[in-house]
Amino acid sequence: MQSNQARRWQKSLDGAGFIRQIWRSRRWYGADWWFVAASAVLLLVFLYAALFPQTIAPYDPEAEVGPAFLPPRQAPVDIVIVARAADNVKSLLDLGGDNDAIGIVAGGQSSTALRDRENEINAGRATPIRPDISRYDTMDEMLAALAKGEIKAAIGNPAEITPLLSKYAGTAIAGPLKESSGQGFALGTDELGHDELSRLIWGTRIALVVGLSSALVAALLGVPLGLASGFAGGWPDRWLTLLMDSLYSFPGLILAIAIAAVLGPGIGNVIVAIAVLYIPTYYRVVRGQTLAIKQELFIEAAQSLGANRFTILLRYVFPNTISSIVVLFSVNVADAILTEAGLSFLGLGLPPNVPDWGIALSRGQQYIRSAWWLITYPGILIMLVTLGFSVLGESLSEIFNPRLNRV
Amino acid sequence: MANLVQETALTQHTTRDLLLQVRDLTVTYQTRNGSLNAIEHLNFDMYRGEVLGLVGESGSGKSTLGKALLRMILPPGSISAGQILFDGKNILQFSAEQMRDIRGRQISMIFQDPMTSLNPVQRLDDHIIEAIRVHEPQVSRQEALKRAQELVSRLGIEPRRLNDYPHQLSGGMRQRIMIGLALALKAKLIIADEPTTSLDVIVEAQFLDLLRELKDEYGLTILLISHNIGIVAELADRVAVMYAGQIVEVSDSDQVFHNPLHPYTDGLMKSIPNISLEAEHQTLYRMEGSPPNLINPPSGCRFNPRCPHMMPEICPIKVPPLTLIPTQPSSEHQAACWLHIPHDKPE
Repeated sequence: MQSNQARRWQKSLDGAGFIRQIWRSRRWYGADWWFVAASAVLLLVFLYAALFPQTIAPYDPEAEVGPAFLPPRQAPVDIVIVARAADNVKSLLDLGGDNDAIGIVAGGQSSTALRDRENEINAGRATPIRPDISRYDTMDEMLAALAKGEIKAAIGNPAEITPLLSKYAGTAIAGPLKESSGQGFALGTDELGHDELSRLIWGTRIALVVGLSSALVAALLGVPLGLASGFAGGWPDRWLTLLMDSLYSFPGLILAIAIAAVLGPGIGNVIVAIAVLYIPTYYRVVRGQTLAIKQELFIEAAQSLGANRFTILLRYVFPNTISSIVVLFSVNVADAILTEAGLSFLGLGLPPNVPDWGIALSRGQQYIRSAWWLITYPGILIMLVTLGFSVLGESLSEIFNPRLNRV
Repeated sequence: MANLVQETALTQHTTRDLLLQVRDLTVTYQTRNGSLNAIEHLNFDMYRGEVLGLVGESGSGKSTLGKALLRMILPPGSISAGQILFDGKNILQFSAEQMRDIRGRQISMIFQDPMTSLNPVQRLDDHIIEAIRVHEPQVSRQEALKRAQELVSRLGIEPRRLNDYPHQLSGGMRQRIMIGLALALKAKLIIADEPTTSLDVIVEAQFLDLLRELKDEYGLTILLISHNIGIVAELADRVAVMYAGQIVEVSDSDQVFHNPLHPYTDGLMKSIPNISLEAEHQTLYRMEGSPPNLINPPSGCRFNPRCPHMMPEICPIKVPPLTLIPTQPSSEHQAACWLHIPHDKPE
């Protein structure tokens, strides 16, 4: 029964085109096929985000769109200014005087909101405002002080203040401290009030560009060098191996730091620095395989049929190394994203205002106790991309490696 | 079987057309302990359409000779002296480019292990098409594929199997594909280096049948290298016996097998296991001693320390040349042994 079925499948494969062969062969490879499909879909989503981030990102990644450290999916709290009606206070600008004390309740969001607003106003002014702050334990104490005239204004959440206002004659809501968007952010905000989701979506572009191009540059240099060196042998091989081994023996990040420090920051230089880091891995793997394949009888057989050295290298040695190159490539893409994060963290990669996963990760780790979302989501994304490339690479090589062909 | 050998031997005698002449060939390997002549001053001829069997024990230089004919000796080895005249031209003077043209198209080789002599990541049709197109670039892929399909169906393989990768074929099929590669290029000389060693006896018999048919059909000239005397007896018209890098005896195969002149050939024939129950075959004959160390070979005849008929006055002193022995019934029985070569006693 089993063998009958296998024969039927085999028969239907004869004469089918490449795409149809892949489609029909999906049953043979069991789970591999589904791994390929799942990781391909995942990577396509990332690719779309990298190509068209503006279509899915809700906010400008570099604009301050909300309060700092707002947890995911939590609406920002409105903060209003309360003052005596007689004082004619309208906004924070009217409270800049030396004796203008402002009351807040300790432990709420009011103090951050006040500081944010203050910084916002001071950013565009020659003479900054410096309101005095008086702290109170409860809302009642604060409003009582306001009614007595000890402080000029109080700030707080309107939902808590409004029911109490009737008890303190003469006080009223003067106006909002700061306009808020009123809605929450799916992944929260960072320490500068940027929308985390938008930054991560825009960061996909840099992650993929750096990951793919540095792995590609490294492969384009490392693979031919390894092939030629292993195949030719002799003193060029010995010197090249010495050079590559000395590159390889450096701690990876230190080497990348050294190169990036020499070249200076910028995305192109980051790619070069990471590519140099990975050339020896390709070189070593490909050279080792070439040395082994060179000894195989089929190389001698090809020679005895009159094939020249270049043909042997290109048609006999290289195809036998592809499966390990594919695996190496997928692992390197993932690793390159992490290295880029490390370089950016150290200030040698990209400028810190650029939306980038690595930068998000390195900045978020300072706030790991208070704002878990800043480090968790970039971490998950890096893991998903890494996993996507690894699974795709491994499964594809499993399917296309004729030696593993189970029929 | 003996009949067939005699018949083919006869036809070969009527058309004595020289294809290959090897003269004074010496292959030297440089080793840590000094240089070593894996093949020394070796001479033999091959005629068009014949099968020459090359027998000898492991390490006697059979495979080295096969590779030397294609100039595929890798460093630290090299061909240090002699001539290989193929179709009258000395291929040792050819450029690398000319040599590539010789390989495959003129002289082709079938290797011992069909499991590893095909590229595992290349389909079979690509193997044959590429071999054809290396030598005949003007042939289109379509034409080459057509030729490949005709060829493999002649070899008893379904043409649709050409879509397969080597690992999907059995050992016998792969070895047939290897022959197909040689046939696709219409090679004038096929060097078969232990072609059946890794095949089981049934597949081996089928393979030998196929080889014999193809030989008659295409008039192939085959140098059959083997340590298996049985398959050489089955297929070869003439047999050359190698010992320690030298050919010690050449003749028609029935002569070598039934009337060996050289004591080494004699010992080799006696060492073939026989399953008959006659008393004389009860114990397996074992030649005394072991093959010499080629870095420091014995002086004179290289077989003399092991030879039961050693003559102390000449054998360890003078090297016996490969000489035509006129007393024999066959017209061309050559041996390198002082027992049969007339000589004066040295002073």
